[in-house]
Amino acid sequence: MSLRDLSRSTPLRLAGVFALTIVLLTGGVFAFVYEVTTEARVAQLKKVFSDEAETAAASDDARLRRALSLRLTRDFRRLDYVALFDSSGRILFGNLERKPDIPVDGRTHYLPGFRPADEAEPEPTLMVARARPNGDVIVLGRSLANVEMLRSLFNQTLAYAILPVAAGALALGFFFSRRTAARIHEIDDAIAEIVNGDLRARLPIRSGFEELDGVIASVNEMLDEIERLMGQLAAVGDNIAHDLRAPLVNVRAILDQALVEAPKGAALRQPVQTALRQLDRAMTTIDALLRVSAIEGERRRSAFAEMDLAEICGELFDFFEPLAKAKGVELTLAKGGAIIRRGDPDLMREAIANLIDNALKFTPRGGSVKIAATAEEGLARVEVCDNGRGVPAAEAHDIFRRFARAENGADLPGAGLGLSIAETIARLHGMELVVADNAPGARFTLAERVPAAEERR
Amino acid sequence: MTGEMQTVYLCEDEKELAEAIIKELVGRYRVFWSETGAEAVEAARAGRAAILVMDRKLKGADGLTIVETLRAEGNRTPVLMISAMGAVDDRVAGLRAGGDDYLVKPFAMVEFSARVDALARRLSEASAPVLRAGPLELDLVARTVRRESREIELLPREFKLLEYFMRRPGLVVTRKMLLEDVWNYRFHTQTNVVDVHIRNLRLKLDAPGEKKLIVNLRGEGFLLDVAA
Repeated sequence: MSLRDLSRSTPLRLAGVFALTIVLLTGGVFAFVYEVTTEARVAQLKKVFSDEAETAAASDDARLRRALSLRLTRDFRRLDYVALFDSSGRILFGNLERKPDIPVDGRTHYLPGFRPADEAEPEPTLMVARARPNGDVIVLGRSLANVEMLRSLFNQTLAYAILPVAAGALALGFFFSRRTAARIHEIDDAIAEIVNGDLRARLPIRSGFEELDGVIASVNEMLDEIERLMGQLAAVGDNIAHDLRAPLVNVRAILDQALVEAPKGAALRQPVQTALRQLDRAMTTIDALLRVSAIEGERRRSAFAEMDLAEICGELFDFFEPLAKAKGVELTLAKGGAIIRRGDPDLMREAIANLIDNALKFTPRGGSVKIAATAEEGLARVEVCDNGRGVPAAEAHDIFRRFARAENGADLPGAGLGLSIAETIARLHGMELVVADNAPGARFTLAERVPAAEERR
Repeated sequence: MTGEMQTVYLCEDEKELAEAIIKELVGRYRVFWSETGAEAVEAARAGRAAILVMDRKLKGADGLTIVETLRAEGNRTPVLMISAMGAVDDRVAGLRAGGDDYLVKPFAMVEFSARVDALARRLSEASAPVLRAGPLELDLVARTVRRESREIELLPREFKLLEYFMRRPGLVVTRKMLLEDVWNYRFHTQTNVVDVHIRNLRLKLDAPGEKKLIVNLRGEGFLLDVAA
């Protein structure tokens, strides 16, 4: 899973997990308080009741009556109902009109809707009935109306509280994870830019993410160092090229002049002309190298303007068509409407011209070269296909490197540098140049990359 | 050569190159050479210089700034900028600063010569709607070409090419000049594509038995020969 996928899925998921946790915790607290205040109380009451009933059943009549009446009035663990029935169910004493419908087993029973009198409201009540040795039945009872009220109060409170808590947790969670995700996207975009060759880009630092910012600062320092080293390397290369170039320029001028001054038919003319040609070859190479590093080094987008890729292909077709005809190669152009992009038209012409130049060079008489400019789903694409010797798959990547030249093209001068320049220009325009097998021949494609920001959406 | 020779001021701090340039121009032009450019600016201000040849990078001075200063003063002396290859947009910067032409080192002397000659003629690029050179007549408005009475049909690209030659009759035109000025291309092609274009144009211009108007100069370029 890439960093990008992770950052895309996180905000909602994180918010969900966060909200769920908060809701569960809140529910847990409520459940605990509920348990302590209601259920535990009821259980305790049940136990007390059973004990009371047991004690009461065992005592003699007089003491029982006294104890029971005391219980009704003064005892802090108040009993709401106290009654003594004889074995036939007639009341002997107490505040109940008739014997409640519970088993006489000395265990406390919960009656959800007990009516102490016929006209009374039903109430949840705890009741215990126990037989005395003489056959009388003692009944104790306690209304749970207040406990029940507490219980419903809890439920209401929970119902009212849980919604805002959940919503708040969700919002908060979403906010924080969105912030983090946005931050990661920002960093990801910056990295994408660097990967695409802009070594000058740096990762953005924002306050509020201390740990992340520490890492980012280190990465930026590393990038500074890499840029500095690359710059040094390029500068060394350029200096060598420049230093080689100056004397070559002068040698060329001297030879040129010698040729002008040499009398017609002089024996020296031939070797001097050959030397000039070789010199030109060396200088073409040096120039191309300098040009690649100049385009790379300047990242100049200042000369960027609107350009029409289809029109450029059209112009170049017009330019190369007579040459193709003279070589016996069929050159065709397929283009639709205008493909307007921002770029340096001079450089773009150069890049595409190099591709066509290259294709014509490697295509034998009777072959064909196709130029196509298309824009599919908004992505511009320029293709130059030939049915010449092609590029071996193993060399497909190396072909754009400086100095590289396909093994089977070694006899044709300067094939590699033009492609290397084209590749550099492509990257400057946020495009990529790839070569594929055209079976037979080669297919060079100069294509716009999907912008990093869009790929994510 | 007719009458007084024109004066070229050369500002170049590489001695070997300067010497080669002087050798090339001497006999056709009066050449003054300085390493800094100060004299050249004086001469241009005084109207004594017909052409300035200015290296972009001089000892202690910047050729671009010099040209910019002159242009800001309203001085129109033609300037040929020469420069060691450096930045990609050197040429653009050079022309924007007010240079009339721009040549990247190293150059063949014929290339250099051709450019100086073209500047010396002070070509008026946008003048009459009809250009005439020898038997050729080119109507820029009607887009027609005739050689004496014979109408010649040209493709647009051939028309452009011929127009370039007809503005420079008798002057050497190099392949590089054609690439840069006719097609607006800044790149070098290793193919002989320019020669093919010329050959096609020539096939249309010269009927069998007629004089060849566009001449090939080996190792130099081409020339529209309209002398009778």
